[in-house]
Amino acid sequence: MKTFEEKWTAWLDGELSGKELVEFEASLPDKAAAEAEKHGAHKLGALLKEQLGAHALSNEDFFSHQLRERIVRENGPSREPSLEASTWWTVRRLFLTGVASLALFVICAVVVIRDKNPGEQSQYLTQILNARVDPAVSPNATISMFETKEDKVTVLWVEGLQSLPADYAAK
Amino acid sequence: MRNCALLVAALLALVMSVASAAQATQTVWSGLVIAENVAQPAPIPPELIRIEQTLKALFGYNQFQVIGQSRKTLKTGEEDWLASSKYFALHVDARGETEAGYVLNLKLYKENDLLLETDTKLSKRSPLVIKGPQVGGGQLLLVLVVQ
Repeated sequence: MKTFEEKWTAWLDGELSGKELVEFEASLPDKAAAEAEKHGAHKLGALLKEQLGAHALSNEDFFSHQLRERIVRENGPSREPSLEASTWWTVRRLFLTGVASLALFVICAVVVIRDKNPGEQSQYLTQILNARVDPAVSPNATISMFETKEDKVTVLWVEGLQSLPADYAAK
Repeated sequence: MRNCALLVAALLALVMSVASAAQATQTVWSGLVIAENVAQPAPIPPELIRIEQTLKALFGYNQFQVIGQSRKTLKTGEEDWLASSKYFALHVDARGETEAGYVLNLKLYKENDLLLETDTKLSKRSPLVIKGPQVGGGQLLLVLVVQ
């Protein structure tokens, strides 16, 4: 035994026929209003079908390809590259790498410090390789050498040479 | 086209030979200088203008007079020469050229006595000044400049 709602739904869908249809329509209090409602329901159904129907894919081949690739990837043998990469850096290797880096740094530092000896003269300045005075003539003579910063003059400063009379300034 | 290439090559060779000749022939000025303080100082010799302020600051004199000098153009870097005054002589013996300048052996004589001997690498960019003996109220200086 169908309820009224079931018969109403079936009537709206046009699924009632024969005696059942005649009895149901006779039971309707306002057939015109019911017809109008049925018409409205059909219009609404058509509109929903039109608006909510599945959209056609414009690039269905590409989409299918992507989908297949993904399926293959997910079903293939599982790999964990990040795990493999991280396992290379064991504690021992990290320690050895650190020691090697430190040794390299020390070697470079020693080489640089040795090359940049502050006492060493630049090759572009005049260098005094050696200097000597006759100890018999000037027993108290001392020798020193330096460079001036302004105009890069190299000076050999000899102190204690025997003083001479003014006549020796003659040309 | 071929003549043009030959002309360019000849010009290039000429420029390179002039450049290398200019590099090879450098002049070393060596001077015996008496530095002293006087009321009316004479103008400084042109060879010393470049280092005038350094000379005045270092030695404290206001006049620098050249009493003997020599200007030697070096071609092989093996030349030797003498700059002399009445009583002093500076013997310069060039013993080769390096990238930066010349290796020189210098000997300062007072008449026949060797007062001072030194070996230096004279740089083209850096003059050499040697403080010699006191002479009267002044000072004998030896100056070498690559020009």
